[in-house]
Amino acid sequence: MEQIITRFVAALRESGIRVSPGESLDAVQALGLCGIKERRASRELLRLTLVKNVNDIPTFNEVFNRYFNRFQFVDPQEDLPALMDAVINEMEGEFTYLNELKDDHDDEPGPLIKIDSEINPEDLAELKSLTEIDPDDNDGTELMVQMKGYREKAKKPPRPTRRYTQNPLTIELNKGNSYGSRITFTVEEQAAMQDVVSKMMLRLRKDMRRMKNNQNRGKLHVKRTIQKNYRHDMVPFHVVMRRKRREKPRLVVLCDVSFSVSHASRFMLLLLHTLHNQLLDVRSFIYNRDLAEITELLANMPVNDLMEAIDTGDIVDLDENSSFGEVFLKFKTKHLENLRGRPAFIILGDGRNNYGEANDWVLDEIREKSRYMLWLTPEERETWSRGDCLMDIYGSYCDKVEVVKTVDDLSLVVEDLLRDIYADQAHPIDRKLLREAKAAETYSSEDYYRRGTNADTKPTFDPDGRSHW
Amino acid sequence: MVSMITQQAVTDFLKAGGYIADDAIATAVFLAIRMEKPILIEGPPGVGKTGLAKALSSALDFPLERLQCYEGIDEGKALYDWEYGKQLLYTQLLRTQLDNYLSVSADLREAVERLSAEESLFFSENFLVQRPVLRSFMSQKRSLLLIDEIDRSDDEFEALLLECLSDFQVSIPELGVIEAKRKPLVILTSNGTRMISDALRRRCLYLYIGYPELDREVAIVRSKFPDICENLAQQMVEFLNKVRELNLRKPPSVSEALDWAQVLSIMKVNSLTAEVVAGTVGVIAKHQSDLQKVTELASQELG
Repeated sequence: MEQIITRFVAALRESGIRVSPGESLDAVQALGLCGIKERRASRELLRLTLVKNVNDIPTFNEVFNRYFNRFQFVDPQEDLPALMDAVINEMEGEFTYLNELKDDHDDEPGPLIKIDSEINPEDLAELKSLTEIDPDDNDGTELMVQMKGYREKAKKPPRPTRRYTQNPLTIELNKGNSYGSRITFTVEEQAAMQDVVSKMMLRLRKDMRRMKNNQNRGKLHVKRTIQKNYRHDMVPFHVVMRRKRREKPRLVVLCDVSFSVSHASRFMLLLLHTLHNQLLDVRSFIYNRDLAEITELLANMPVNDLMEAIDTGDIVDLDENSSFGEVFLKFKTKHLENLRGRPAFIILGDGRNNYGEANDWVLDEIREKSRYMLWLTPEERETWSRGDCLMDIYGSYCDKVEVVKTVDDLSLVVEDLLRDIYADQAHPIDRKLLREAKAAETYSSEDYYRRGTNADTKPTFDPDGRSHW
Repeated sequence: MVSMITQQAVTDFLKAGGYIADDAIATAVFLAIRMEKPILIEGPPGVGKTGLAKALSSALDFPLERLQCYEGIDEGKALYDWEYGKQLLYTQLLRTQLDNYLSVSADLREAVERLSAEESLFFSENFLVQRPVLRSFMSQKRSLLLIDEIDRSDDEFEALLLECLSDFQVSIPELGVIEAKRKPLVILTSNGTRMISDALRRRCLYLYIGYPELDREVAIVRSKFPDICENLAQQMVEFLNKVRELNLRKPPSVSEALDWAQVLSIMKVNSLTAEVVAGTVGVIAKHQSDLQKVTELASQELG
């Protein structure tokens, strides 16, 4: 039985479910306690002990069916996992059945075992070299080949990083512009995003905690201190300070969803909403020629459904050419009035206006209402002034323009942004510390090429002295 | 009694306690009791995660210790705390004894030494406030520890629970390690608003409770409100299943179904019509935008 479980666990790991040795021990113990009765009960038992995440349940079911379905041509009354066990034991020349199984299957091992007992271990050793398996071949030998395969795999240690080695956005972008292809996120991609975000959270947390601790700095809250120390005979063991109420930083995101930048914008949306509620208050808009708010949708709809709705043009029409000028005008008339609390403003787009009206004065108004303005573009700097690209004009209104090409770029940029926002609200002493820390950081030349921008670059076009890209 | 329990028995005694369990739930409970491992239950709100714990506690006659998690919960609220007030009070009251005791000593150094020799008096279980986790560990009878909505707490708290859940012990620096007298049956619930760490998941059996199948939900409604006739219960549950597919902001779950059943039984309704749904829609839909969708569905489905 242990062997079956081990191999099954290996199969699960192959499919990307993380199962620890402790969990497989649990599974064996559980099977021992419950005994093996029927397929469904055993499946439930294994699922309880081996799977620890809702998203993994469909994968588990699939693997379970694939792994245990070879026995379906056996009489369904038979005890399937037990047969399985028996087969494997036989295959290796071990006739030690588990005691509890022996009672049921002593005399009549079932048709499958009969087939298998005609094959001796030497034959099996040769079969091991088979790598090609005919999927239509449905007899016992195939099963063994399959089993062998699993066994080899079981020997390898689990590689939890396997799912994350390839960065989804990098793959997508490197593919070239595959226009019109639907984008939905696989579970792995969503998990990878979760991973990126949690790493980011870890890095940010250190700074955040220090700032949070310093929230307590301030004047003594006399009333609360007395209340708190009443039980200590008014000896002030616990000092309560007045603290400033601090709101979550607000963020407004405008994402271009036209084909030219679709991949980047999708990941941006996913990233921000993975972050949402943890650190930020995000309002998201998507635009092509039209503009639509999707904050509610992102919060309530499954991500993939939403992406499909965007792709099919249900939310904004994708067939038209994108026009930044029009979008800015629409944003001004519809939404600019109710931007509250000086949000940070992120625009993602390539700035290609299709030779329409630039309407860059709107950006000036948005800038007045926002704390910080950031433009993310997937294009390299050299192309910013070519063709219909208005990046140079729009860029001059922003605090920063960054080139992002991969999820990692994106997460770095957003991380910096969050840090800036928090630093902005921080206590003056903290702000000074942070500034010093930032000044001490040296930018290597590699950073320059990787990030596309460099903080030390002197501004070339800078009407207000505000931009530094 | 507990060691003799079988899987079927679990289903039966839960049913006697008014909780209709499916195979997965019964297996999980059975394994948790036998393997002495915590169960982590996830699922949408209102499908009976907390209800399972309550039903178990009354069915098994395990006293229930409930720990409601919230942001910022810490060990002082969950495990144990020192009762400073009592400690101070005792030192005040024992002042004369202390004076006598210390007056023997020749100098300050000796007095401090004498006093510190008696330190354990002031850090004893006498001054320990037991919070739910420790209380369930110290209980003479095997108890049921319900850690409710663990996803509301912080990561730090999760880490704090790891020791308690895997080894059933609490380390108190002043007293040492306190082990559980009887290992409690631990149930953690989560609504999935935050990812629970893998470390915690690994120490638990994982049970996902989704919306129940039609038959089971009918059985649940019937067991709570026997005066609802079979027909009406069937109709209700079928309608609710359709409502769940509407993509509402807050889909109605089992608790809404039960509320609705109660409303209908008070109103002495015999069969479901569009008017009845329109009149009681506030029980199953909890958002303004949802109300309209449900009423529309009712007029389509029920005429």
